[in-house]
Amino acid sequence: MNTGQFVLGAAASLALLSGTAGAEDLTVWTLNYSSNAQVNALKASEAEFEATHPGVNLEIVMRGTDEHKTALRVAAGSDTGPDIYFMWAGLGLGGEYVKAGLSRDLTEYYEKYGWDDRVSVPSLAFVESFGAGKHGMPYRFTGEAIYYNKTLFEQAGITAEPTTYDELVAAAEKLKEAGIAPITFGGTVNWHVMRLMDVLLETKCGPDTHDVLMEMRADWSTTPCATEAFTELDMWARNYILSPFMGIDQKQSASLFFLGRAAMMLEGDWHVNPINENADIANFGLFPFPTGADRLYGFAEYLYISSKTDKADLAAEYLDMFTTTAFQDQIKGAFGALSVNKEVKLGDDALDLHKEWITIFDAADGTFVNGDQAFPLDVTTEYFRIINEVASGNMDPQAAADAMQQFIGNRA
Amino acid sequence: MVLRSNSLHAYRTEALVLLAPAFAIYTVFAIWPMIEVVILSFQRWNGLSADRAWAGLQNYRHIFTADPVYWMAFRNTVLWTIMSVIFPPVVGLLLALGLNQKLFGRGSLRAIYYLPVIIAPIAVATMWRWMYDPFFGLFNQVLTNLGLQAWIADWLGDRSIALYSMFVAYTWQHVGFSMVLFLAGLQGVEYSLVEAARIDGANRWQVFRHVTLPALQVTITIVIVLSTISSLKAFDIIYGMTGGGPAQSTQMLALWAFTQSMQIFDFGRGSAISVTLLAITLAIVVPYLRWTQKREAASE
Repeated sequence: MNTGQFVLGAAASLALLSGTAGAEDLTVWTLNYSSNAQVNALKASEAEFEATHPGVNLEIVMRGTDEHKTALRVAAGSDTGPDIYFMWAGLGLGGEYVKAGLSRDLTEYYEKYGWDDRVSVPSLAFVESFGAGKHGMPYRFTGEAIYYNKTLFEQAGITAEPTTYDELVAAAEKLKEAGIAPITFGGTVNWHVMRLMDVLLETKCGPDTHDVLMEMRADWSTTPCATEAFTELDMWARNYILSPFMGIDQKQSASLFFLGRAAMMLEGDWHVNPINENADIANFGLFPFPTGADRLYGFAEYLYISSKTDKADLAAEYLDMFTTTAFQDQIKGAFGALSVNKEVKLGDDALDLHKEWITIFDAADGTFVNGDQAFPLDVTTEYFRIINEVASGNMDPQAAADAMQQFIGNRA
Repeated sequence: MVLRSNSLHAYRTEALVLLAPAFAIYTVFAIWPMIEVVILSFQRWNGLSADRAWAGLQNYRHIFTADPVYWMAFRNTVLWTIMSVIFPPVVGLLLALGLNQKLFGRGSLRAIYYLPVIIAPIAVATMWRWMYDPFFGLFNQVLTNLGLQAWIADWLGDRSIALYSMFVAYTWQHVGFSMVLFLAGLQGVEYSLVEAARIDGANRWQVFRHVTLPALQVTITIVIVLSTISSLKAFDIIYGMTGGGPAQSTQMLALWAFTQSMQIFDFGRGSAISVTLLAITLAIVVPYLRWTQKREAASE
């Protein structure tokens, strides 16, 4: 190596080092998604942000649900962790982080960027629910409804989508008589069967009573509709859920649905892409679970800026970019039918099921969230256990309602 | 005399210097966390707040009297431990006795039986979960092909068999560990004693009962103690196969402590469960070790 090469090499190394030292890292922790469309959308946000922010290195870390929750708790006790983190917006999840002071108040950014005007009203429902100021930026707002296999419905002689709970039960009975498993759930992931219990509570109790039960302000053991909902859950488990189901998870359950082994599945609007990627989407239809009320079953997911970050401005710029009309238009449909940006509409080329979802969102009058978002974590764990006991035929409905109330009572 | 004292002092200093790094690491990563868990068991902490409120015995009172899962986890842990000190060691001993004979391919067979031990428990759990899949799993497919549809079961979803289904996977993974220890122990059995017993007319069972088994006394103690400790802290395979379900029916104390701390984020109650698990482990292992030490001392 001559002197010239040495000097050139040293200069290049110095430049590289100074470039590295000057780079600003921004870390986002979120879930790993099963749909390619969702993963690609996140990668697109990374590319877009880095392109508009030279010198910034955006790292999106994706983990499984439980691993994500655990990693956040561990990070909460240390000085390391993400600048932005994903969390469901309900009381037992995102709400707990807000209450613990781990979410930065974003009021100044809401004002600076005009997010209140940009984001749809239902998705903002939890922004001011759990702490002073505004916490979290809506990332997506989802609904859950019944997907069904049109061919299997035809085989069972079902000619119209059920619009009442009785019609749904009648349809399930027809399917069963035709030798078709009416609906599928995966029991190992507790939250899947929970969805059925949630909608049965809404059906049997109505919105007001359902809400006070979930807020633990009503006595489960003496509220008749709670026992009735458990009774219905028992009935569905005995008669209409593709069995065995306690030993399979949601993914296995979805595979069975794609393969036509069951006629219905209670899933969110995010399920359109997996159906499209794994089956003939033209063969699938959609209708809201007929609870008798007009509320939509669904929840919001937020991106929170950590109270520990010293890059709040940069983090807010990412949230702003992610929710702009231009970027949301670019990824529309990836995370579900509805963009959190109210200006973004699905195009004519959107999947039919996504278009149906928009109709469902438009027709909804309010929302009710999943049980695991409504309850604190310990109550959620007990709710899961009791639901599984009833679904396994090991606990009768009144005992289930009593057990719920006993656990809630013991907390006090 | 002075020379001896100086040299003893030098040995002690050298020993202390050599032990110090390991002791420091052990203190930081094992002893202090244990002390921390005991302290936490008397506090309320959600893992987020900076404050840890003193709770006295409330966490213990809750897990013993108000927790709907603790006693189920306790029962399962006891049952699992009893099965763990019986089945894997017995199967391991039988395999060791077989593979101690001069067989063709003995080395390969030993490696094959030991192989599951080196697989990560979570990988074992995933593999067996797929084999137990009620729709597409190996076991139900084989039963279907054999025309034994009546035997098809929801291996991990039926609470009456889920724990035992997991235990089969656990045995499959751990039997090789016992086998290797017994194989090592069998190398210490004096062949001259075996020969002498045979010359005296002892049959195979009598040789095993009166010569081989007494010679394996130390190995048996090691296997039982290690199996007990391993079974009491059984976690990965249960987490990976059922997560404690269905309806917490396969829950174990170690997993329930983790669930309370890392999923419900009640570190106080999770720590209280861990402390009870530690107490149970010590209550079983310490008396057993003392008993075997006394027996060994008496036989010398």
